[in-house]
This record gives sequence, C-alpha cells and structure tokens, in this order.
Amino acid sequence: MDSKSSACSSPNPNPTLGPSKLMLAFRFLRALSLVRRTTPASSRTCRGRRIERAAYASMAYTAGASRAWSRAVLRRLHHRARRRAVAPRRLSTTAGNRAEALRRLVPGGGGMDYCTLLEETADYIKCLSMQVELMQGIVDSASSYGP
Amino acid sequence: MQHGSREVRGGMAASALHDDHGPQQIQNPGLHDDFFDQMLSGLPSAWPDLGNPKSPWDASAAQKLFRIDLAGKPPDESQPEAATEGLRYASYDEATMLASRLSQSQGSGGSSPTGEAMMLQLNNHHILPAVGLSRTAVGGGVGESGLLPLPLTLGSCGAADPRIIVETPRDEMDPPFESPDHNGGEELYNGLGGSIRAAQPGTGQHFHHPQNYGGAAAPAGVGQGPAASASSGGGTPPQKQKVRARRGQATDPHSIAERLRRERIAERMKALQELVPNGNKTDKASMLDEIIDYVKFLQLQVKVLSMSRLGGAAAVAPLVADVSTEGPGGRAGANGAAAGGNNDSLRATEHRVAKMMEEDMGSAMQYLQGKGLCLMPISLASAISSAACRPSAGGLVPAPPAPPTSAAAAAAESPAASSSASALTVQSAAADATAPKR
Repeated sequence: MDSKSSACSSPNPNPTLGPSKLMLAFRFLRALSLVRRTTPASSRTCRGRRIERAAYASMAYTAGASRAWSRAVLRRLHHRARRRAVAPRRLSTTAGNRAEALRRLVPGGGGMDYCTLLEETADYIKCLSMQVELMQGIVDSASSYGP
Repeated sequence: MQHGSREVRGGMAASALHDDHGPQQIQNPGLHDDFFDQMLSGLPSAWPDLGNPKSPWDASAAQKLFRIDLAGKPPDESQPEAATEGLRYASYDEATMLASRLSQSQGSGGSSPTGEAMMLQLNNHHILPAVGLSRTAVGGGVGESGLLPLPLTLGSCGAADPRIIVETPRDEMDPPFESPDHNGGEELYNGLGGSIRAAQPGTGQHFHHPQNYGGAAAPAGVGQGPAASASSGGGTPPQKQKVRARRGQATDPHSIAERLRRERIAERMKALQELVPNGNKTDKASMLDEIIDYVKFLQLQVKVLSMSRLGGAAAVAPLVADVSTEGPGGRAGANGAAAGGNNDSLRATEHRVAKMMEEDMGSAMQYLQGKGLCLMPISLASAISSAACRPSAGGLVPAPPAPPTSAAAAAAESPAASSSASALTVQSAAADATAPKR
C-alpha cells in the first residue's frame, strides 16, 4: 500500500546495535497514525489487517536490511502491495519436519541453511517480542482511558 | 652433496605435485607455545631456516641439514642417500618423540587446524613408502622429502594434532620394524653411512648419530628419549601415553567441518534457549518444538493485538501532530484529522525530528530540547495529560514558564483521550498553550 511505504522511512542505520525499542515505537506509532487517518472507520477487519502489516513493516525496517528475515518481510510487503497474494499456509509440526516448520514460520527461512536459520530465528523472536510488548503497552494505556 | 641436494629438491617438487594438501603446508607460523620455543632454541643457527614454516621445503636449508650430518665425512656418492636414509629413520623416530611430546603439551589443547592435521597425515603417508624404499634401495626423493619436513613442521606448527599422527605411525610402522629388526636394522644403519660405522662398531653408533641430529633437530633424540622428555618437561606437562586418537576426532576435513558446524548450531541453540520461555529443555527436538510454538504464539499475539486495537483506536491519537491540536480551539480537531494552522509547524518539526532520529538520537534529543519539547514514555504522557485534564491540576503541569492559569485550563480542557495513549512526543502544557498563540 502506498500509505504503508510512505509511512516507513529508511531502515535502521545502526545495524550493529541491534533492534532498538525506541526506533520501533517511533516507526510503529507513525504507521499507526497513518492507518488511522486513511482507513474508513467502518471496515474493522481491514484496519486490523493494515495494522498488522504496519507492525511487521516497522519491525522489519527497525531490524534493518542486515537480517535475512527483515528483507524477506519487506519483499513480501512490497509484493503484496502490487498484487493480492495469499498468505502461506502453515502445516503443523510433525516429528520429521521441525526444521521445515520453523522455516515456514520465519520469513525468508526457506533459502538458508540450518545454522543461519537458528540465528535468524533468534533475531526474529527478539524483534517480535519487542513489537508485542509495544503493542500491548499501547493497548494498555489506551484502555485505561477509553470506555 | 650436490647430488643429494638435487635429489632433495627433486623430491620436494615431486611431493609438492603429489600433495593435494600442498597449499596448506604453509601454515600459520604464529603459534608460539612453549614447545615451539623450546625446539627453536635448541636448534643451531643453520636450522632456523628449517624451522621457518614458510620454507620447509627450502632446498638450501635441507642442504645445510645434510652438511651438519656429513661434516668431516669424506664426500661419497652413496653418502647423501645413505645419510638421508639414516636421517629418514632418525627423523622418524625423532618425529614420534616430538609428536608424543606435542601430545603432552597440547593434550587437552585446542582445535587442531585442519591443514596441520592433514599435513601430518601426509607426512605419515610419506613415511610409509620411505620405510619400504629404504629397505631395498636408496629412497626416492618423495620419501626423503616427506620425512624431512616432518620434524620441521611439527616444530613450526605447534598446535598440530599429534594424537593422530602418533597413532598411525606406531601402528603401521612398528610391525614392519619388528620383523627385519636385526637384519633390516643393520641394513639401515649400514646405509646410515659406512663412514660413520667405520669409525665405531656396534649399535651404539646409531644412537650416537641420531643424537647429533637430536641436538640439531630438537631437544629430543632417539637415544635421549627420557632425558629429552625430562629436559623438555618444562614446556610440556607430563601426561604421556595418550597416543590413541579420541573417538570422533578424525582428521578427515569433512568431519572437522562437521564438528565446527555442530558447535555453531549448539551455540545458536543456546542463545535461543535464553530467549524462549521454558527453554530449559535438554532435548533438541523438544527445544525446537518450544521455539516453533513460541514463534507461533508471538505472531498470533501481533494479530490479536492489531485486531483489538480497533476498539481503542478512537482513543489512540498517535503522534505529535494529533497531540498538538490540544491547543485552544483544538477540541474539535483533536481526534482524526489533524488539520489546523497551528499544526503545520509541529508537523514539520516532527518530520525533522524523525529524520534526525534516523541518523543520531543524541542530536535529535538536543533539537527537541531546544524547542522546549521532550520525549517521554507513553504511560507518563497519559498520566500527565490526565492530570492536565482536570482543571484543578492545572497548576501542577510542569512547565518552565509559568502558564497563565486560564491558558493552561484551556489547553487542559481538550479531551485527554487525544493525548492519552500513544503520544511519543508531548509538549509541556505551557508550551502547548503559548506556542500556538501567534
């Protein structure tokens, strides 16, 4: 979506420091405000999806282009902006294909070796938990005022 | 002499061609453990060239080696070969002593570089044909040069993996040694140099000669095995007899790479264990299951939170642009559209700050402070705005310039909801009240 791409600016210039909570908050809040402004209030589910996309986008931009998963997320977002792609199906894990299940979960996990996959998973989990923490904080502070 | 050196050179060339691990023979010379220093200190001046791992195949160095041995002996056609034969065995024995001493010093030691292990293995292979050759005729150049560098490389590359090298020669070399012990041994030491033997009879000589070499080559010699180990005891801990290769410690480059890979994977798994709650599973499979479940859970949380945000969306007025409409008359425009004349400057500021934040947080903070703005956590902003909402709390608003009460009240009157939740940048109420008044 154009609104999404305009909401997100250049990626993190300090990749070595790791994902920064402040930058994440900044980006996400900006994207959130954009979503609020552009979506009509009637379409609830649409807005929910857009917010989710904004969350992933801000995560990916904060993580920077040095991570394979962030690049894959951005690729997926940009591609989806042009054509409506279906979300990948997620099969349950069985004894044999744990690594495959992990590959399906972590964006960009298909094209990397096991060792790199584990590394990317660690970074992905870090960023995801930061994002969840941020969103939970926003919801908490919002709920304390709204009816 | 020339003949011998030419042979050696030829042999080196041949072995270099045969040797597919050739490039790895030039090993990292920066290994200075005690043993290495000891060895080098024991070398005569001619040897430092040989000790130099960059030129283990140096022909001139090898020549010097021969000259040490043959000093004073009448030059003889057969002598270089004979000397090299004797040298071969002497070197081999010295090599095993060196190797065992290396194993002492690095028994617990670190990783054996792949190249060195392979180099030693290669030399093993060279030893075997050398043994066979010496029995029959003058050894080929391959054999000699194969053995020649053996003590050299062992000395120069201190961290070699001696467990392997010591094992193989012992196992494979000893039987051949056993059978022809008497006749073969005599034969060998005949080859050692008719001239040497001519001087003194007996097998004592063959100890003497290697002793020369032992002095030259290393503090270890065949004859002075125990003495040498005692002398080198300073550098090597006295754990001997550990010559068997440990299980799983093959020198195969594939298995070494495999081992490195496994170690890396173990590291990553440990890092993941700390991130994932309930990450105390010892089983790798269950750990992977936990990781997968946790990732799924986090992704689900993002989804749920983004859906639930809809309810509070009205209450969420995310940024400075919206917050700034708190100014007088901002009541109508507090939610939703942040249109307003007093907004533009703030929006420009916001963009400017955003850009600066991308580059350098410090300068962004300074810029904000220069403007009389600050960053504060959302919860704090909520608390302040809620406090500011109540007219009675107007005086409590922390603003450097004391705001006129009416202005503060007016600013505070704007619905708290607009500034409540997600304002990242919050203007102090005074600044809010005063700035838009233009």
